[in-house]
Amino acid sequence: MKESGADSPDGHAVYVFAVCGAPVQTAVADLPGVAAGTAVRTLPFGELTAVVQTVRAADFADEAWQARLSDTRELERYARAHHHVVTVAAAACPTVPLPLATLYHDEERALSALSGETGRFRAALARTADHSEWGVKVYAAERPPQDAERPVAEVGTAPRGPAEPAGRTRPAPGAGLAYLDRKRGVRARREQQQEEALRMAETVDAEFQRVAAAARRLRPHSPELAGDPRVQVLNATYLVADRRSGELETLTRMLQDSTGAQIELSGPWVPYSFVGEV
Amino acid sequence: MTDGDLVQAGYQIPGPQTTNLADILERVLDKGIVIAGDIKIDLLDIELLTIRLRLFVASVDTAKKAGIDWWETDPALSSHAARNALQDENRELRERLEAYESKADELPVGQDAAATH
Repeated sequence: MKESGADSPDGHAVYVFAVCGAPVQTAVADLPGVAAGTAVRTLPFGELTAVVQTVRAADFADEAWQARLSDTRELERYARAHHHVVTVAAAACPTVPLPLATLYHDEERALSALSGETGRFRAALARTADHSEWGVKVYAAERPPQDAERPVAEVGTAPRGPAEPAGRTRPAPGAGLAYLDRKRGVRARREQQQEEALRMAETVDAEFQRVAAAARRLRPHSPELAGDPRVQVLNATYLVADRRSGELETLTRMLQDSTGAQIELSGPWVPYSFVGEV
Repeated sequence: MTDGDLVQAGYQIPGPQTTNLADILERVLDKGIVIAGDIKIDLLDIELLTIRLRLFVASVDTAKKAGIDWWETDPALSSHAARNALQDENRELRERLEAYESKADELPVGQDAAATH
Protein backbone atom coordinates (compact mmCIF):
# COMPACT_ATOMS: atom_id res chain seq x y z
CA MET A 1 0.00 0.00 0.00
CA LYS A 2 1.23 3.43 -0.91
CA GLU A 3 1.62 6.12 1.58
CA SER A 4 -1.64 7.90 2.17
CA GLY A 5 -1.87 11.58 1.33
CA ALA A 6 1.08 11.57 -1.08
CA ASP A 7 0.46 12.40 -4.72
CA SER A 8 0.99 9.68 -7.27
CA PRO A 9 4.22 10.08 -9.28
CA ASP A 10 2.47 11.56 -12.34
CA GLY A 11 0.43 14.00 -10.27
CA HIS A 12 -2.87 12.40 -11.15
CA ALA A 13 -5.62 10.84 -9.13
CA VAL A 14 -8.72 8.82 -9.91
CA TYR A 15 -12.04 10.33 -8.92
CA VAL A 16 -14.90 7.85 -8.46
CA PHE A 17 -18.46 9.09 -9.03
CA ALA A 18 -20.53 5.96 -8.70
CA VAL A 19 -20.72 2.21 -9.07
CA CYS A 20 -23.13 0.68 -11.57
CA GLY A 21 -24.63 -2.77 -11.82
CA ALA A 22 -23.89 -2.92 -15.57
CA PRO A 23 -21.59 -1.26 -18.12
CA VAL A 24 -22.53 2.37 -18.95
CA GLN A 25 -19.69 3.40 -21.26
CA THR A 26 -21.58 5.40 -23.88
CA ALA A 27 -23.85 7.25 -21.50
CA VAL A 28 -21.13 8.96 -19.48
CA ALA A 29 -18.35 9.35 -22.05
CA ASP A 30 -19.37 12.84 -23.18
CA LEU A 31 -19.83 14.38 -19.76
CA PRO A 32 -17.44 17.05 -18.51
CA GLY A 33 -17.25 15.54 -15.04
CA VAL A 34 -15.16 17.41 -12.47
CA ALA A 35 -12.03 18.02 -14.53
CA ALA A 36 -11.28 19.57 -17.88
CA GLY A 37 -9.36 17.66 -20.51
CA THR A 38 -10.02 14.11 -19.36
CA ALA A 39 -13.01 11.96 -20.17
CA VAL A 40 -15.37 10.40 -17.71
CA ARG A 41 -14.95 6.67 -18.22
CA THR A 42 -15.88 3.32 -16.80
CA LEU A 43 -13.75 0.94 -14.81
CA PRO A 44 -15.17 -2.60 -14.64
CA PHE A 45 -14.47 -4.72 -11.57
CA GLY A 46 -16.12 -8.12 -11.41
CA GLU A 47 -19.71 -7.73 -12.49
CA LEU A 48 -19.84 -4.12 -11.38
CA THR A 49 -18.60 -0.99 -13.12
CA ALA A 50 -17.22 2.16 -11.54
CA VAL A 51 -17.68 5.54 -13.21
CA VAL A 52 -14.41 7.44 -12.83
CA GLN A 53 -12.34 10.31 -14.14
CA THR A 54 -8.62 11.01 -14.01
CA VAL A 55 -8.01 14.37 -12.36
CA ARG A 56 -4.99 16.39 -11.29
CA ALA A 57 -4.17 15.38 -7.75
CA ALA A 58 -3.30 18.96 -6.83
CA ASP A 59 -6.85 20.07 -7.66
CA PHE A 60 -8.18 17.60 -5.15
CA ALA A 61 -5.79 18.01 -2.28
CA ASP A 62 -7.41 18.75 1.04
CA GLU A 63 -6.40 22.43 0.96
CA ALA A 64 -7.98 22.85 -2.48
CA TRP A 65 -11.18 21.38 -1.12
CA GLN A 66 -11.27 23.52 1.98
CA ALA A 67 -11.01 26.58 -0.28
CA ARG A 68 -13.75 25.18 -2.48
CA LEU A 69 -16.06 24.51 0.44
CA SER A 70 -15.78 28.15 1.40
CA ASP A 71 -16.75 29.39 -2.04
CA THR A 72 -20.39 28.84 -2.85
CA ARG A 73 -19.98 29.04 -6.60
CA GLU A 74 -17.08 26.63 -6.69
CA LEU A 75 -18.86 24.22 -4.41
CA GLU A 76 -22.00 24.43 -6.51
CA ARG A 77 -20.09 23.71 -9.70
CA TYR A 78 -18.45 20.62 -8.30
CA ALA A 79 -21.60 19.39 -6.60
CA ARG A 80 -23.62 19.79 -9.79
CA ALA A 81 -20.89 18.20 -11.93
CA HIS A 82 -20.77 15.20 -9.61
CA HIS A 83 -24.53 14.96 -9.51
CA HIS A 84 -24.73 15.23 -13.29
CA VAL A 85 -22.48 12.21 -13.84
CA VAL A 86 -24.31 10.19 -11.21
CA THR A 87 -27.70 11.03 -12.71
CA VAL A 88 -26.70 10.18 -16.27
CA ALA A 89 -25.16 6.88 -15.16
CA ALA A 90 -28.28 6.06 -13.17
CA ALA A 91 -30.46 6.66 -16.21
CA ALA A 92 -28.50 3.95 -18.02
CA CYS A 93 -28.30 1.33 -15.28
CA PRO A 94 -28.84 0.71 -11.55
CA THR A 95 -26.37 2.97 -9.79
CA VAL A 96 -24.94 3.44 -6.32
CA PRO A 97 -23.68 7.02 -5.93
CA LEU A 98 -20.55 7.83 -3.95
CA PRO A 99 -20.27 11.11 -2.07
CA LEU A 100 -18.41 14.04 -3.55
CA ALA A 101 -14.64 13.59 -3.68
CA THR A 102 -13.77 9.93 -3.31
CA LEU A 103 -10.25 9.71 -4.74
CA TYR A 104 -7.49 7.16 -5.32
CA HIS A 105 -3.86 7.56 -6.31
CA ASP A 106 -4.31 5.47 -9.43
CA GLU A 107 -6.57 3.00 -11.20
CA GLU A 108 -5.00 0.02 -9.52
CA ARG A 109 -5.65 1.43 -6.07
CA ALA A 110 -9.20 2.32 -7.02
CA LEU A 111 -9.90 -1.16 -8.36
CA SER A 112 -8.50 -2.80 -5.27
CA ALA A 113 -10.54 -0.60 -2.90
CA LEU A 114 -13.76 -0.92 -4.89
CA SER A 115 -13.42 -4.70 -5.24
CA GLY A 116 -13.09 -4.95 -1.49
CA GLU A 117 -16.50 -3.27 -1.12
CA THR A 118 -18.32 -5.44 -3.66
CA GLY A 119 -20.61 -6.87 -1.01
CA ARG A 120 -21.80 -3.44 0.11
CA PHE A 121 -22.39 -2.30 -3.45
CA ARG A 122 -24.42 -5.40 -4.22
CA ALA A 123 -26.51 -4.98 -1.11
CA ALA A 124 -27.19 -1.32 -1.93
CA LEU A 125 -28.11 -2.20 -5.53
CA ALA A 126 -30.48 -4.90 -4.32
CA ARG A 127 -32.08 -2.54 -1.80
CA THR A 128 -32.72 0.21 -4.34
CA ALA A 129 -33.51 -1.87 -7.45
CA ASP A 130 -36.61 -0.51 -9.25
CA HIS A 131 -36.92 2.23 -6.65
CA SER A 132 -36.28 5.95 -6.76
CA GLU A 133 -35.83 8.62 -4.14
CA TRP A 134 -38.44 11.36 -3.82
CA GLY A 135 -37.99 14.47 -1.73
CA VAL A 136 -40.89 16.02 0.16
CA LYS A 137 -40.76 19.47 1.72
CA VAL A 138 -43.49 21.02 3.78
CA TYR A 139 -43.60 24.78 4.33
CA ALA A 140 -45.23 26.73 7.10
CA ALA A 141 -47.98 29.02 5.92
CA GLU A 142 -46.67 32.51 5.20
CA ARG A 143 -47.80 35.29 7.48
CA PRO A 144 -48.95 38.70 6.33
CA PRO A 145 -46.17 41.26 6.95
CA GLN A 146 -48.30 43.81 8.84
CA ASP A 147 -49.15 41.16 11.41
CA ALA A 148 -45.48 40.37 11.72
CA GLU A 149 -44.50 43.95 12.49
CA ARG A 150 -47.26 44.92 14.85
CA PRO A 151 -45.89 43.73 18.22
CA VAL A 152 -42.53 45.44 17.66
CA ALA A 153 -44.19 48.71 16.71
CA GLU A 154 -46.29 48.75 19.88
CA VAL A 155 -43.30 48.28 22.09
CA GLY A 156 -41.42 51.08 20.39
CA THR A 157 -44.11 53.81 20.60
CA ALA A 158 -42.77 55.58 23.67
CA PRO A 159 -40.70 58.66 22.78
CA ARG A 160 -37.06 58.40 23.62
CA GLY A 161 -33.84 60.32 23.48
CA PRO A 162 -32.37 63.10 25.60
CA ALA A 163 -33.96 65.78 23.39
CA GLU A 164 -37.25 65.17 25.09
CA PRO A 165 -36.50 64.21 28.68
CA ALA A 166 -38.84 62.10 30.74
CA GLY A 167 -41.52 63.95 32.75
CA ARG A 168 -44.76 63.80 30.83
CA THR A 169 -43.82 60.63 28.92
CA ARG A 170 -43.95 58.58 32.09
CA PRO A 171 -45.80 55.31 31.32
CA ALA A 172 -49.39 55.14 32.50
CA PRO A 173 -50.06 52.87 35.46
CA GLY A 174 -50.55 49.30 34.30
CA ALA A 175 -48.36 49.74 31.23
CA GLY A 176 -45.94 47.11 32.51
CA LEU A 177 -48.74 44.66 33.07
CA ALA A 178 -50.10 45.33 29.60
CA TYR A 179 -46.65 44.76 28.23
CA LEU A 180 -46.37 41.40 29.98
CA ASP A 181 -49.82 40.40 28.76
CA ARG A 182 -48.79 41.25 25.25
CA LYS A 183 -45.62 39.22 25.65
CA ARG A 184 -47.61 36.28 26.91
CA GLY A 185 -49.99 36.52 23.97
CA VAL A 186 -47.13 36.63 21.51
CA ARG A 187 -45.51 33.63 23.09
CA ALA A 188 -48.73 31.65 23.15
CA ARG A 189 -49.34 32.43 19.48
CA ARG A 190 -45.82 31.40 18.60
CA GLU A 191 -46.10 28.11 20.44
CA GLN A 192 -49.45 27.39 18.89
CA GLN A 193 -48.14 28.04 15.38
CA GLN A 194 -45.12 25.88 15.93
CA GLU A 195 -47.24 23.03 17.25
CA GLU A 196 -49.60 23.26 14.31
CA ALA A 197 -46.73 23.29 11.83
CA LEU A 198 -45.11 20.27 13.45
CA ARG A 199 -48.38 18.38 13.56
CA MET A 200 -48.89 19.09 9.90
CA ALA A 201 -45.38 17.86 9.11
CA GLU A 202 -46.02 14.60 11.01
CA THR A 203 -49.25 14.02 9.11
CA VAL A 204 -47.57 14.50 5.76
CA ASP A 205 -44.64 12.28 6.74
CA ALA A 206 -46.92 9.49 7.92
CA GLU A 207 -48.90 9.53 4.68
CA PHE A 208 -45.81 9.37 2.47
CA GLN A 209 -44.39 6.54 4.57
CA ARG A 210 -47.42 4.44 3.65
CA VAL A 211 -46.37 4.59 -0.02
CA ALA A 212 -42.60 4.34 0.61
CA ALA A 213 -40.30 1.39 1.18
CA ALA A 214 -38.06 3.53 3.39
CA ALA A 215 -37.93 7.09 4.69
CA ARG A 216 -35.32 9.54 5.96
CA ARG A 217 -35.60 12.92 7.59
CA LEU A 218 -33.21 15.50 6.25
CA ARG A 219 -32.43 18.79 7.96
CA PRO A 220 -34.80 21.53 6.94
CA HIS A 221 -33.07 24.13 4.79
CA SER A 222 -32.61 27.64 6.05
CA PRO A 223 -34.38 30.21 3.88
CA GLU A 224 -30.97 31.67 3.01
CA LEU A 225 -29.52 28.41 1.77
CA ALA A 226 -32.57 27.49 -0.26
CA GLY A 227 -33.03 31.02 -1.54
CA ASP A 228 -36.66 30.66 -0.58
CA PRO A 229 -38.38 32.86 2.00
CA ARG A 230 -40.73 30.14 3.17
CA VAL A 231 -39.90 28.20 6.30
CA GLN A 232 -39.51 24.47 5.98
CA VAL A 233 -41.13 22.43 8.67
CA LEU A 234 -40.37 19.10 7.03
CA ASN A 235 -37.59 18.01 4.71
CA ALA A 236 -37.93 14.30 4.21
CA THR A 237 -37.01 11.85 1.51
CA TYR A 238 -38.59 8.54 0.57
CA LEU A 239 -37.56 5.43 -1.32
CA VAL A 240 -40.51 4.61 -3.52
CA ALA A 241 -41.02 1.68 -5.89
CA ASP A 242 -41.08 2.97 -9.45
CA ARG A 243 -44.45 1.31 -10.07
CA ARG A 244 -45.93 3.44 -7.27
CA SER A 245 -44.35 6.76 -8.18
CA GLY A 246 -47.53 7.78 -10.00
CA GLU A 247 -49.32 7.91 -6.65
CA LEU A 248 -47.08 10.63 -5.27
CA GLU A 249 -48.50 13.57 -7.21
CA THR A 250 -52.00 12.63 -6.19
CA LEU A 251 -51.00 12.18 -2.57
CA THR A 252 -49.27 15.56 -2.58
CA ARG A 253 -52.37 17.32 -3.89
CA MET A 254 -54.62 15.47 -1.48
CA LEU A 255 -52.47 16.41 1.52
CA GLN A 256 -52.22 20.01 0.40
CA ASP A 257 -55.99 20.20 0.31
CA SER A 258 -56.55 18.45 3.62
CA THR A 259 -53.83 20.15 5.69
CA GLY A 260 -53.56 23.52 3.94
CA ALA A 261 -49.79 23.06 3.89
CA GLN A 262 -47.58 23.93 0.97
CA ILE A 263 -45.97 20.67 -0.07
CA GLU A 264 -43.21 20.30 -2.61
CA LEU A 265 -42.40 16.99 -4.23
CA SER A 266 -39.05 16.51 -5.98
CA GLY A 267 -37.85 13.51 -7.87
CA PRO A 268 -37.09 10.99 -9.06
CA TRP A 269 -33.63 11.21 -7.52
CA VAL A 270 -30.89 8.62 -7.71
CA PRO A 271 -31.37 7.01 -4.29
CA TYR A 272 -28.49 8.85 -2.61
CA SER A 273 -30.16 8.76 0.77
CA PHE A 274 -30.82 5.01 0.73
CA VAL A 275 -27.60 3.38 -0.46
CA GLY A 276 -25.69 3.77 2.80
CA GLU A 277 -26.12 1.34 5.66
CA VAL A 278 -28.46 2.58 8.31
CA MET B 1 -8.52 22.81 -14.47
CA THR B 2 -9.82 26.05 -15.85
CA ASP B 3 -12.93 27.60 -14.41
CA GLY B 4 -14.51 28.23 -17.79
CA ASP B 5 -14.77 24.59 -18.71
CA LEU B 6 -17.18 23.74 -15.96
CA VAL B 7 -19.13 26.96 -16.16
CA GLN B 8 -19.65 26.78 -19.89
CA ALA B 9 -20.77 23.21 -19.75
CA GLY B 10 -24.16 24.66 -18.74
CA TYR B 11 -25.47 21.57 -17.12
CA GLN B 12 -28.76 20.36 -18.41
CA ILE B 13 -29.17 17.75 -15.77
CA PRO B 14 -31.84 15.18 -16.35
CA GLY B 15 -33.85 14.27 -13.30
CA PRO B 16 -35.88 16.19 -10.80
CA GLN B 17 -37.15 19.63 -11.66
CA THR B 18 -36.23 21.22 -8.38
CA THR B 19 -32.51 20.64 -8.40
CA ASN B 20 -31.70 23.54 -6.14
CA LEU B 21 -28.26 23.69 -4.60
CA ALA B 22 -29.40 22.74 -1.12
CA ASP B 23 -31.13 19.61 -2.41
CA ILE B 24 -28.04 18.52 -4.29
CA LEU B 25 -25.59 19.38 -1.51
CA GLU B 26 -27.37 17.43 1.15
CA ARG B 27 -27.26 14.40 -1.10
CA VAL B 28 -23.78 14.55 -2.64
CA LEU B 29 -22.06 15.64 0.57
CA ASP B 30 -23.99 13.79 3.17
CA LYS B 31 -25.31 10.67 1.48
CA GLY B 32 -24.14 8.06 -1.01
CA ILE B 33 -22.19 4.96 -0.04
CA VAL B 34 -19.03 5.97 1.74
CA ILE B 35 -15.86 4.05 0.98
CA ALA B 36 -12.37 4.93 2.11
CA GLY B 37 -10.35 6.85 -0.47
CA ASP B 38 -6.58 7.19 -0.76
CA ILE B 39 -6.70 10.93 -0.59
CA LYS B 40 -8.27 12.08 2.59
CA ILE B 41 -10.62 14.95 2.07
CA ASP B 42 -12.45 16.39 4.97
CA LEU B 43 -15.88 17.19 3.64
CA LEU B 44 -17.43 19.26 6.33
CA ASP B 45 -20.53 18.07 8.00
CA ILE B 46 -23.47 19.44 6.06
CA GLU B 47 -24.65 21.39 9.08
CA LEU B 48 -21.34 23.17 9.46
CA LEU B 49 -21.31 23.79 5.77
CA THR B 50 -24.74 25.32 5.67
CA ILE B 51 -23.75 27.67 8.47
CA ARG B 52 -20.72 28.66 6.48
CA LEU B 53 -22.73 28.95 3.28
CA ARG B 54 -25.26 31.14 4.95
CA LEU B 55 -22.52 33.67 5.57
CA PHE B 56 -21.70 33.68 1.89
CA VAL B 57 -25.03 33.18 0.24
CA ALA B 58 -26.92 35.84 2.09
CA SER B 59 -25.16 38.73 3.64
CA VAL B 60 -27.57 40.37 6.02
CA ASP B 61 -28.29 43.15 3.56
CA THR B 62 -29.06 40.82 0.71
CA ALA B 63 -31.37 38.85 2.92
CA LYS B 64 -33.18 41.97 4.05
CA LYS B 65 -33.53 43.31 0.53
CA ALA B 66 -34.99 40.04 -0.55
CA GLY B 67 -37.33 40.22 2.43
CA ILE B 68 -36.38 36.76 3.55
CA ASP B 69 -35.78 37.52 7.18
CA TRP B 70 -39.39 37.83 8.25
CA TRP B 71 -39.19 34.62 10.22
CA GLU B 72 -36.34 35.96 12.32
CA THR B 73 -37.80 39.37 13.02
CA ASP B 74 -41.36 38.32 13.67
CA PRO B 75 -41.74 38.15 17.47
CA ALA B 76 -44.69 35.83 16.99
CA LEU B 77 -42.36 33.27 15.51
CA SER B 78 -38.90 34.01 16.76
CA SER B 79 -37.73 34.22 20.33
CA HIS B 80 -34.76 36.22 19.03
CA ALA B 81 -37.03 38.99 17.82
CA ALA B 82 -38.97 38.89 21.07
CA ARG B 83 -35.71 39.39 22.89
CA ASN B 84 -34.97 42.40 20.71
CA ALA B 85 -38.29 43.94 21.66
CA LEU B 86 -37.44 43.43 25.32
CA GLN B 87 -34.01 44.98 24.83
CA ASP B 88 -35.61 48.01 23.20
CA GLU B 89 -37.92 48.42 26.17
CA ASN B 90 -35.01 48.08 28.58
CA ARG B 91 -32.97 50.66 26.75
CA GLU B 92 -35.81 53.12 26.85
CA LEU B 93 -36.26 52.63 30.56
CA ARG B 94 -32.56 53.10 31.16
CA GLU B 95 -32.55 56.30 29.14
CA ARG B 96 -35.49 57.62 31.08
CA LEU B 97 -33.80 56.77 34.36
CA GLU B 98 -30.62 58.53 33.28
CA ALA B 99 -32.61 61.61 32.36
CA TYR B 100 -34.20 61.66 35.83
CA GLU B 101 -30.88 61.12 37.55
CA SER B 102 -29.12 63.88 35.68
CA LYS B 103 -31.99 66.21 36.56
CA ALA B 104 -31.71 65.26 40.21
CA ASP B 105 -27.96 65.91 40.09
CA GLU B 106 -28.48 69.33 38.62
CA LEU B 107 -30.83 70.54 41.34
CA PRO B 108 -28.46 71.29 44.24
CA VAL B 109 -25.47 72.52 42.21
CA GLY B 110 -27.19 73.79 39.12
CA GLN B 111 -28.95 76.81 40.67
CA ASP B 112 -26.58 79.28 39.05
CA ALA B 113 -27.34 77.88 35.67
CA ALA B 114 -31.07 78.02 36.41
CA ALA B 115 -30.75 81.62 37.70
CA THR B 116 -29.23 82.87 34.47
CA HIS B 117 -32.61 82.35 32.80
